[in-house]
Amino acid sequence: MADNIHTVTVAKDLADLIPVFFRNRQKEIETLRSALAAADFEQLRQLGHRMKGVGNSYGFAKVSEIGKRVEDNARSADKAGIDACIGEYAEYLSKVQVVYE
Amino acid sequence: MNDRAVPDSTPEAQALYRVLVVDDDPDMVSFLARLLRREGLAVETASDGESALMQVMTAPPDLVLLDVMLPGSSGFDVCRKLKGDETTALIPIVLVTALEDSESRVRGIEAGADDFLSKPVKREELIARVKTLRRLHDTRKELESRRLAAEVQRKEAIRKAFSRYISPRLADRIADAGEQGDPFQGRAQRTSLVALFADLRGFTRLTEQNEVGAVVAMLNEYFAVLTEAAYQHDGTIFNMAGDSLLVGFNVPFPQPDAAERAWRTALEMVARFEPVAAAWRERHGLAVGVGIGMCAGEAIIGNVGSAHYASYTIIGNPVNTAARLMQMAAAGEVLVCGPLYERIRHLVPAARVATRGDVTLRGKSESIPVFAVKAAAPEHA
Repeated sequence: MADNIHTVTVAKDLADLIPVFFRNRQKEIETLRSALAAADFEQLRQLGHRMKGVGNSYGFAKVSEIGKRVEDNARSADKAGIDACIGEYAEYLSKVQVVYE
Repeated sequence: MNDRAVPDSTPEAQALYRVLVVDDDPDMVSFLARLLRREGLAVETASDGESALMQVMTAPPDLVLLDVMLPGSSGFDVCRKLKGDETTALIPIVLVTALEDSESRVRGIEAGADDFLSKPVKREELIARVKTLRRLHDTRKELESRRLAAEVQRKEAIRKAFSRYISPRLADRIADAGEQGDPFQGRAQRTSLVALFADLRGFTRLTEQNEVGAVVAMLNEYFAVLTEAAYQHDGTIFNMAGDSLLVGFNVPFPQPDAAERAWRTALEMVARFEPVAAAWRERHGLAVGVGIGMCAGEAIIGNVGSAHYASYTIIGNPVNTAARLMQMAAAGEVLVCGPLYERIRHLVPAARVATRGDVTLRGKSESIPVFAVKAAAPEHA
């Protein structure tokens, strides 16, 4: 089993929703990157807000936490901050392991 | 499994508690729908405000779970619209807002939201809130159906109580009018009416020749026929004594055509009783028929009696006159006082009418004009 940060326990009854959830998160990274390239802070704020809402609903606290930072950084138009968040998000998604209970 | 398959249209789902989930994030929709369906609820979904409004209008759900951040109309707009429309105002709305977003909660309260749910959504919190609102919903439905059942019961009781005296149609009218329209006011009042008295010619012989049980059965048969005739023309039965029946018209509800109704009732009574009289003739060798007296005028209507026993009745000249005329009427004959005859003469075939001239009735000092109308063929009399 991987380290705690990258292991997420998800309720068994949500198992079949998880692959779609991850596909949508990967798409989200692409959307975040293009919004950042366009300096569209309103869209970035909305994307962060959405990550914050959906992440921990499924049990992925880290997604919510990064989402909150994206939202905050977008409010202050902090491009570097957002860029760091996207990097951290991509790395997290590549490492995260799901355990169903 | 595809949680976005909407709507749930199986017959079982129709009877279920139906939740509309509105969110533009497909992962949130799938998540919420999954948890709600696990609780046995029927779930429908919408991804923007406009389609949510459309869905509520076409198939109103029992609960709306509404995200505040939607493309186009916001969750607040949708909430305000639904709460502002009386056909949808009672559908509970749970607004889904970010946990720390107290401003959204204030706006949600202003828009009329019934409850709030924080994002990220906690399974237990979602279920608890939906269950609470469902309980409220069920209680409200239960109260409403109990209220309706009580109302139906009340009306049925009124209808039953009154339908012994008045036609089912009038009983319905009283039941529907409720307390404000109660025509059976405690206070007696003077009113214009038509009184019709009917009794059985040959009744004395009938009682002499038959056993008590047989007499009662025959009287019941006779009264059933007369009551049906009275109800057919919405007459109100005020008294039934011995073999006589008192029916009033224009009371308790106004009947502009009260005279015509009384005349038709008289004809109906004689006609309906004819086959009964024929059967009695055959079975018992009895010559019987209905004699009728009718009069119009002012009388007093109301509850007369003591606190323990009261009778809703009509008292006055036209009632007394009708009673005297009834006593004078032969079988199949209708005796009508002058003023009433003027009101129905257009309906009465002239060949059947005989003027009795001015008649002084027993117990009266003045004489009144009386018209005799043959309602039935004389040979049966």
